[in-house]
Amino acid sequence: MKQNGSPSKNGTALTLTLDGEKVTFSRGETLYEVAERHGREIPTLCYDPRLEPFGGCRLCVVELEGARNPVASCTMEAQPGMRVRTRTAALEVQRRILMEMVASENRDTDVDPMHGYASQEMADLLDRYDARTGRFAGATSGTSRPDDDNPFIKRDYENCISCYRCVRVCAEQEGDYAISVMNRGFHTQITTEFGGLLKDSACTFCGQCIQTCPTGALGDLKALANKDVPGETETTRTVCPYCGVGCSVDIMTRGEKIVGILPAMDGPANEGSLCVKGQFAFDFVGHPDRLCTPFLRDEASGELRPASWDEALDFAAGKLRKVVKDHGRRAVYGIASGRAPHEAAYMMQRFIRAGLGTNHIDNCSRA
Amino acid sequence: MPDPTNAELVARWKDEQAPLLPLLHDFHERDGHLSEEALRAVSKGLRIPIADLFGTVTFYHHFSRDVGGLDRPRVCNGPVCTMRGTEVLIASLRAAGHDPHVMPCPGRCDQPVPVIHGGTVLTGRTASTLVSGPSPLPPPAPAGVEECVFAGIRNPDRATLAGYRSDGGYQGLTRAVTTMSPGEVIDVIDASGLAGRGGAGFPTGRKWRAVADAPGGPKTIVCNADEGEPGCFKDRVLMDHDPHGTIEGMALAAYATGAVRGFIYLRYEYPETFDILEGAIAEAEAAGLLGDGILGTDFAFDLMVRRGAGAYICGEETSLLNSLEGTHPFPRNRPPFPVTHGYENLPTVVNNVETLASAPPIVVHGADWYRGLGLGDHAGTKVISLSGDIARPGNYEVPIGLPLRDLLHVLAGGPLPGRTIQAVTMAGLSGGFLAGADLDVTLDEPSIRSKGSFLGAGGIMVFDDSRDMIRVTRESMEFFAEESCGKCFPCRIGTQRLVERLEGDGPRSVEAWVDEVTDLNEVMKKTSACGLGQAAPLLTESLIRYFPDRVRRHVEKG
Repeated sequence: MKQNGSPSKNGTALTLTLDGEKVTFSRGETLYEVAERHGREIPTLCYDPRLEPFGGCRLCVVELEGARNPVASCTMEAQPGMRVRTRTAALEVQRRILMEMVASENRDTDVDPMHGYASQEMADLLDRYDARTGRFAGATSGTSRPDDDNPFIKRDYENCISCYRCVRVCAEQEGDYAISVMNRGFHTQITTEFGGLLKDSACTFCGQCIQTCPTGALGDLKALANKDVPGETETTRTVCPYCGVGCSVDIMTRGEKIVGILPAMDGPANEGSLCVKGQFAFDFVGHPDRLCTPFLRDEASGELRPASWDEALDFAAGKLRKVVKDHGRRAVYGIASGRAPHEAAYMMQRFIRAGLGTNHIDNCSRA
Repeated sequence: MPDPTNAELVARWKDEQAPLLPLLHDFHERDGHLSEEALRAVSKGLRIPIADLFGTVTFYHHFSRDVGGLDRPRVCNGPVCTMRGTEVLIASLRAAGHDPHVMPCPGRCDQPVPVIHGGTVLTGRTASTLVSGPSPLPPPAPAGVEECVFAGIRNPDRATLAGYRSDGGYQGLTRAVTTMSPGEVIDVIDASGLAGRGGAGFPTGRKWRAVADAPGGPKTIVCNADEGEPGCFKDRVLMDHDPHGTIEGMALAAYATGAVRGFIYLRYEYPETFDILEGAIAEAEAAGLLGDGILGTDFAFDLMVRRGAGAYICGEETSLLNSLEGTHPFPRNRPPFPVTHGYENLPTVVNNVETLASAPPIVVHGADWYRGLGLGDHAGTKVISLSGDIARPGNYEVPIGLPLRDLLHVLAGGPLPGRTIQAVTMAGLSGGFLAGADLDVTLDEPSIRSKGSFLGAGGIMVFDDSRDMIRVTRESMEFFAEESCGKCFPCRIGTQRLVERLEGDGPRSVEAWVDEVTDLNEVMKKTSACGLGQAAPLLTESLIRYFPDRVRRHVEKG
């Protein structure tokens, strides 16, 4: 992380003028970062702080004294003595026209928030700039892939604005390089190799493309399946149980039902990254096939039959005691499931260690 | 000889500099298209992710992914050629059993209408009269006008090393490496006032000095020969008839800056030029003018030619560098500039052909000589490619500051009989139109910029009073929409919306139409990431300025 306002090599603070105010910055900071640190709320659509600045949407342009045209603040490194204006009347008009242009190329400007983490960015900016005017009407861009029948990622490129955040997150954050940009200009299209389906590509279905998409062109199909579940969405911060990395997630619930998973952009281990399991594999929790009672195997018939908890626990305790008695405590080995909550995993190891006196305990997530 | 295998082709290029484009061309030419199998072999051989490679290949107009694609005739649909019979030629090719499609301007506006078929450029008006031939030489210079880059170009042997040398060629390089320090070479170029002749007009001496002073290396000289601007065909003539002029200029730039390698990035549409350059480089290498130990000194400079594959934006220097490096040819964000972060992120000179070809005569004759070629306070000369409705189209090397009307009416013979000049473009298409009293400009940046346009690379297309300026503007804007790279929003969406409004879509009242178009123009000019998006709206801006009545009829008629 960068240190704000750190001094330059010779010990004097680096400063520039931001909207008439003298502010300090550290070497390597962009004008956008400096301005955001000072609460400027510069609009962006192609920006994701985890990615290399791209300079595509041009909404973040600012006026830089001495420059012929406004400059993209996301790509422009701050230099000592710069005089920068971030919200002049002229800039705000340009941003509004840009937003009107963006709105004109999409079929829909409003999508359900269950599409993904960033899915409301465009709609929010259209509201901020009062840009739902219908000006610049014309052809819409992008060809959707409703035929891509993967169960995770909705590919609706008629709502794509060609910010390439999906392509860049796939390459820069995930290292998968599963998707890329084909064609040019208004015919630009997000594609896989040879225009095929995601399942035939290098895609690992991590869902990162969905979560950075600012328009809902990409959508989380697992969460969207729950968009009509009644109730307010609540989020609960927790750590994904599936493996040992410890990715932070925000679990979305409505009432008692888990309706989706959001990556935690401030998660110390993952900074917003997730894999296919952490992102999408939550629907087992409320699955109708789950067992609701213990089962015991009938000794005579060999068939499983429902049993009471007391009956089942007594049976299991008796068998465990017998194994320890006959073969010693080290004959017992416990494995907890990655699909169990952390609390259950903790209880499991307490039970094996304290209850049975062995440290033969593991978890299937120790990958 | 059997065709080379995939493995042989990959092996030929994988350890070379800038290997992607030449490797793709080898597959393209072997198979007649780029198959999935070929791309997978390239992806594996050069370790480029297959999705990235696929996307990048689709960026280039002339890489065909369809079987037989290379053999389909491609016909120019540039603004001059559509006036001269693109549609007739296409119909004629169809009747002759071909399956033609259109391509953006391939730089033959002086010989309409060009067709690329396989690896050959042909010109003519019907399928049966298509011929290939050398680029037309520039018309003779009028008495009393001294030229710089065209001074020796009409000598019949100029393209050979012997012919070039008999004209005094390589004297500039010899003088530089044997009697001058690199700094002294830069001083001469700086003092001459030479500025980028590809359109941007950046002072060449300053650029060379910035690269010479930049830390890190190896340093690189890139000759921008991706002459993609419609209406520009000057670099083709320079390279075809005087290839050693460009080569010597590159060697001078290398000596001045400490560069050890160079690339000529040549547009796809000049296949004959590729052969000429390769031959000239081989000659120069054999004569000790390139390679190691140049002219018996320890100066070394390796020069390679790389062909583009059909993308106007690759004439933008940072797109060009990405294209050379084999990545997606979006323009880079600047700063940093190529002088410090160019090819492979190392210090790089990127100069246009004409700029580089100007350097040897300047070193030989001196900075004052070059400055004196311009009129008034203007230094030097500029080659203008003149085409369209004009008696004598062609390339003219004129003193900077020459009145435009002198070029049009005196040098080039004026409009066609019975016609008057309605408008001309500037900077190919990028400067939009000049018309009416603004045709009184002189050919220098201050004069032309004062009219809201710019001289740029020096392409001027003439449209007489028989032409419909809405149609001309629409076809011109279609070019920019086709060539917009898709990276930045104002250009990607704006060029499309302007085309639609020129096609007759959009608001039905003139006020609303002009309001929308003006907003698009302004936002594109102010916020586009590179010159394409900043320049394209000059067309619609000048259309509204000079032809308001025609705009009104266009909108109201629908």
